[in-house]
Amino acid sequence: MDLDAYIQSGLIESYVLGLTSAEETAEVERLRSQYIEIDDAINDFALNLEKKAFENAISPPPELKEKIFAAIHNDHQANPPALVQPAYDEPTLQARIRNIRTWRIIAAASIILFIVSAALNLYFYNQYNDKQEAYQALLSERESLQANNQIYQTQLKEWQSAAAMMADSTMATVKMRSPKGKDDAATVFWNTLSKDVYVMVNKLPEPRTGRQYQLWAMVDGKHVDAGVLDLSCTSVCKMKNIPKAEAFAITLEKEGGNKVPNLKALYVMGTI
Amino acid sequence: MNNGNLYPESELVSLLKQRQEHAFNYLYDHYAGSLYSVIVSIVPDRELSNDLLQEVFVKIWRQIESYDNTKGRLFTWMLNVARNASIDAIRSKNFQQSKQNRELTENVYEEGGSVQTNTDHIGLRKIVHKLKDEYRLLVELSYFEGYTQDEISKMLNIPLGTVKTRLRSALIQLKQVIKA
Repeated sequence: MDLDAYIQSGLIESYVLGLTSAEETAEVERLRSQYIEIDDAINDFALNLEKKAFENAISPPPELKEKIFAAIHNDHQANPPALVQPAYDEPTLQARIRNIRTWRIIAAASIILFIVSAALNLYFYNQYNDKQEAYQALLSERESLQANNQIYQTQLKEWQSAAAMMADSTMATVKMRSPKGKDDAATVFWNTLSKDVYVMVNKLPEPRTGRQYQLWAMVDGKHVDAGVLDLSCTSVCKMKNIPKAEAFAITLEKEGGNKVPNLKALYVMGTI
Repeated sequence: MNNGNLYPESELVSLLKQRQEHAFNYLYDHYAGSLYSVIVSIVPDRELSNDLLQEVFVKIWRQIESYDNTKGRLFTWMLNVARNASIDAIRSKNFQQSKQNRELTENVYEEGGSVQTNTDHIGLRKIVHKLKDEYRLLVELSYFEGYTQDEISKMLNIPLGTVKTRLRSALIQLKQVIKA
């Protein structure tokens, strides 16, 4: 390569002045690392140019310096250089990174455990609630069954005693008929020995509120009060003891009963 | 070269890369004048030149990391930063428009194909006056006006190859001038 010709080509000056293309720049930089003569020529021209620029220097307005340094100071604060921070030693940094990684894993694991535990808590709490509800339902069902059982037992006892009473040969049965109809609206049982009186309600209509059925015994042509029918009595109701009677009648009276029967409200009657 | 340098260049660069403000203070005191001389020889407007000097120093401050001292002297790098910023400024649309307005009102004329501006005899541009006229024009247009060789070829109606060889010859002559 003809170094003299290259150095005299003007390319070196173009390069220093920034007038070369990207390819030319690459070429000059490659050659300057290969040939010291080219590198020297570049440095010579750059140095002379620098000297000329110093000779022709023009002082900028003095107030400009302060303005420029304020701008740089602002820029410095806005974009702090990484170098100002002391760099960590490589091993320390590695250890720190490892440490941070370990803590990250621990933190991640605890978060996962916490979430799983919270989910399980919620699941078991819901399960507990469901079972609790089911248990309460069973409990109340059992109570209602027990109550029903008691009702049936009571009713059974009532019917047993009613059946025993009807089978008793000393018991006189009086069928009470409505003056209008033929149906047995009620039955009166009268124990001829003990003189106890019972009424079995068959088809008596439900009394209006404030009214109650009352049983009367006909003794020597007079009406004798044999007691009011308890509203709660559904099968056989025990009435007053009547030593002697020819017939029985049921009238609808005011609640609590009357001393004298209201014969207009006579419902049923029957003779022994 | 020694211009009363306090620091060897390599030490200055390393202090600058550490963002030492005292190093930057030194850099300004030492180089602001020569960089300003390049800016004002390209940009005719003084206020714009002042703004550009600020822009150039902020750029140097920000980009000192990218300066590689194996690829040239610090001043060469800073000179290119200053020239590029100045060329960008005068070739921007805003500047071109305001220049046109100025030319219309002040009746600035052209003489011998060279654009006459008030930057002609200022700063670094002074040195081109020692060149032959045809060389001076090419150095002015390419270095101080920022036109590409292709643009100069069209502007002066000379073949691109001729522009290239003539500019190279001009720079060889420039080298002799600045050596003196």
